[in-house]
Amino acid sequence: MKTNYEGCALCDATWGEYWREIEGQNMFFCCNICADAYENMIGEVKKKTGWEELDYVEITGNYRLGRTCRATKGDSEYKYFFRHENGNITQFEER
Amino acid sequence: MKCTVCNYNSSSMDYADLGGHFIDMASESDADHIMWLNRFITKSKTGRQDLANMLREFFELNESGLKRWIINRFVSNFFSEPPHLFIGAMQSPERKVLLGYVVEHHHFLKQWIKSCAYVIAKTDNEDVQMYEMENIMAEMHGFGSKTPSHHELLLRMGESLGLPRETVLMSEPLPATRKAIELWGNLSRNSHWIEIMAAMHSLELIATRGLEKYGAKYSYFDPAIFQRSDIPNEVKDFLREGYDADASHSDEALNLIEKYSDEYGDIQAIQATFIRSMVAFDSYLNARLERGEQYENEL
Ligand SMILES: [Zn+2]
Ligand SMILES: [Zn+2]
Repeated sequence: MKTNYEGCALCDATWGEYWREIEGQNMFFCCNICADAYENMIGEVKKKTGWEELDYVEITGNYRLGRTCRATKGDSEYKYFFRHENGNITQFEER
Repeated sequence: MKCTVCNYNSSSMDYADLGGHFIDMASESDADHIMWLNRFITKSKTGRQDLANMLREFFELNESGLKRWIINRFVSNFFSEPPHLFIGAMQSPERKVLLGYVVEHHHFLKQWIKSCAYVIAKTDNEDVQMYEMENIMAEMHGFGSKTPSHHELLLRMGESLGLPRETVLMSEPLPATRKAIELWGNLSRNSHWIEIMAAMHSLELIATRGLEKYGAKYSYFDPAIFQRSDIPNEVKDFLREGYDADASHSDEALNLIEKYSDEYGDIQAIQATFIRSMVAFDSYLNARLERGEQYENEL
């Protein structure tokens, strides 16, 4: 699974150093909250799409306003918006 | 210097010291400190001296003084483009938003009067004590049956929307509200009264009119709501009370803070405590929305 950020996979920050294996891949996060939010978000996408894995996730936005995303699997694409509070998804909708 | 995130407080007046603290916390991947840096300073990992310079710039008062600094920070956090999500939702509020407002704000007000009481207990300045006494009366006690408290108007707003007051009174706050209330309780117990005032009364800026002159792109709600026939009078009464009262509340408090801040001396501590409270308040406003979503399905 590729992402569009060089820093933390969720927020792109380069502060901190928190690694977590997600989908069999060791990923860099700034903190455990971003890792929780990312992991929960991926779970939600898989639930909604029925995909077993994702190829690519692109994120724009931030914690305050929520994040607009695009995920792909092969030729399929899924666009969505989500917000989290403390790593728990509080809003998730297809866009 | 005080940290804007935790209880760290050093006697050093050098921003390199505070910067060092943030770098230490970030290297431990501490979520709260990193989120604060991301949001207010920079997302890019920087060295201690560069971070010190950025922090100095963040706290810089310029000629306009402490009151103006607080207003500017508050306005850019809540009323810039795009606004805070709750402010966006209040421009033409749906029922669920107002329901969420009622429940979480009930918990907020219960803490509010305690914080005001701490200020009274910690100062001998009569103008400050009078201000806080008046505030407690207006928010929670009211002035006779013709002038109910803000809390009573809040409960009546809920009732007009089909939310029984017993449900509100027996509710538990959502996690973000609880966390904010704990912070306000702690800082009221442990901080100087002027920091408590800055932490609490700055929040009344949320409902203050006329912030456009400080760069606000939005107001708390669109006053056209007072003309709408589909909105219950109890909702209008609640919003009007804040609309009329909080304008003078926050202004008077900020004047008192500025008046006594030189005497207190530690301006950075006042700023840091205010920022910490503002960030908690920001999350608390999201809890109002979260509660609204819950109630939409239940009520
Ligand atoms: Zn992050
Ligand atoms: Zn700290």
